[in-house]
Amino acid sequence: MNWIYEFPFQLTIDTSAIDKGVRSFALTFDAVLRVIRQGLTNILLTISDILTFIPWWVLVLFVIVLYFKQSKKIGMSLVYGGLLALIGFTGLWTLMISTLSIVITAVILSVALGFPFGLLLSLSERANRIMRPVLDTMQTMPVFVYLIPALLLFGLGRVPAVMATVIYAIVPIIRLTNLGIRQVNPEIVEASRSFGATTIQTLIKVQIPQAFTTIMAGLNQTLMMAMAMVVTASMIGAPGLGMEVLISVNRIEVGRGLVSGTAIVIVAIILDRLSQGWVKPHSEEESL
Amino acid sequence: MKKLFLLLVLLFFVLAGCAPSSRRTTFTFANAQWDSIMFHNAVMGTIIEEVFGYGWEELPGSTPITYEALMSGEIDIYSEIWTDNLPSYNEDVANGRFELLGLNFDDNAQGLYVPRYVIEGDATRGIEPMAPNLRSVSDLPQYWELFEDQEDPNKGRIYGAIPGWAVDEILRNKMDHLGLNATFNYFSPGSDAALSAALSSAYERGEAVVGYYWEPTWLMGLYDFVLLEDEPFNENGFMNGIGEFKSSDVTVGVRNGFSAEFPEVAEFLSKYSTSSTLTSAALSYIQETGASSVEAAKWFILENKELVATWLSAEQFETLINALES
Repeated sequence: MNWIYEFPFQLTIDTSAIDKGVRSFALTFDAVLRVIRQGLTNILLTISDILTFIPWWVLVLFVIVLYFKQSKKIGMSLVYGGLLALIGFTGLWTLMISTLSIVITAVILSVALGFPFGLLLSLSERANRIMRPVLDTMQTMPVFVYLIPALLLFGLGRVPAVMATVIYAIVPIIRLTNLGIRQVNPEIVEASRSFGATTIQTLIKVQIPQAFTTIMAGLNQTLMMAMAMVVTASMIGAPGLGMEVLISVNRIEVGRGLVSGTAIVIVAIILDRLSQGWVKPHSEEESL
Repeated sequence: MKKLFLLLVLLFFVLAGCAPSSRRTTFTFANAQWDSIMFHNAVMGTIIEEVFGYGWEELPGSTPITYEALMSGEIDIYSEIWTDNLPSYNEDVANGRFELLGLNFDDNAQGLYVPRYVIEGDATRGIEPMAPNLRSVSDLPQYWELFEDQEDPNKGRIYGAIPGWAVDEILRNKMDHLGLNATFNYFSPGSDAALSAALSSAYERGEAVVGYYWEPTWLMGLYDFVLLEDEPFNENGFMNGIGEFKSSDVTVGVRNGFSAEFPEVAEFLSKYSTSSTLTSAALSYIQETGASSVEAAKWFILENKELVATWLSAEQFETLINALES
């Protein structure tokens, strides 16, 4: 009728078929899903055990020493150590360890999967073209859309939280690995080829070291994005600081929310500074 | 670049000045994201629209946020206030932070549920009874292995309430009171969607699961769950987790000043009263037919004319039925 303001026809998408599909997939591949879940749980528990085993003052000292070695600034090192200790003094240490174990597991998985994938994309123009929209989707699709299916497949708790975090945080490491390798001066690559290096040798001995700074910047971003998922992950039952924020928001306890929110900020800042430090010394060497 | 920016800014102000000036009064309902509140919003909204001629819309948000918005006046009508789930409810009513109009229903249930096949088995699905003697919450420790927590195999897992609800604290105290902490982890599901996904996926796999839930909900209508018994309700010890949940009063509230401005609507809302059974029937109708909540509301009004007639004057009732049947 009025096709100027209304669409001439409507498509009805049978969304309930998708619902049924996901549910029956969960039933059929139950055994496989269980193995994946168990494997991930083991990694998570090991990392969590290690972090719990480290006494708090060792971790604080570790941050101070590591930052001092990178920056040679004793003042800031002490400030970061003090901030970390502050989390413990406000009684949020165990929650922070929970959060940290999820973030670290997610980052390890992201790097383990994302780095080789990024290399692959840097070698093939076609793969790069195909994967671009996929990567865009992974970063922009609202998390809840795939969070709930992840629940049906993997149940509630830390495992689906890690999965959701990986989907979101893996993108920068893939992108920047790809970019870093592509940005390596073609003349250097040509030179190494002319000395008889194979593709793999060129990649490992020339391209990756040359692209190291960019790749590390990708790692830093991956880490930050994993931290950004902490609160969202707690909505599917991941314990830790995010859950504390969620509880205080749900109860409109502004003060409690602010305290736990600040703890997340502190962890994020420390992780950011430490991981940026891996980049800088290298780039200084290069500029010499 | 600069020109484009200026143009955009200009466009923004022009558009901002163009807001439609004459719009009819529209009431804002709280949509706290669970199914029954959306249904009751639709019933109230349909009647308000057809009988009183006002518009209605829903503002989505979490329970505490919408509740806070009711008290700040951003939300006009809250059709389902679960009084026991709001820690500050009694205080807020006493201080007159919103107007309490009436009781929507009070025959609901909440507590720890297990699927019926866990106790009785299910011959059609080939499930043997797993815990034939499980009757009450205090029987849980002897069956903890059934409910194994995959992230901590030495304990069972009880899916708890949504963090921040008052019942969450009560359940945590109940864990202490009944000594369930020795054999079970209290697992915070984080959100309503996560909790119902956990329960429904366990049900469809035929696994044993125990968790907090409440009625009326589509989940309880669709799947066969059994509420575990507990000691009788205990007024003094309730907050400390002693005794079962009594049914919670679910009330209708409006923002301050509402009944002075719209006395007729307020009178209708104060008479509005349904029951858990009626609500469940409507939610099952939605689940089965895929109807929208507004369609379900129309179906509900025509199915329950006698009840609806008690909310309205004879004249108003006639207007409503004529409008819906035409």
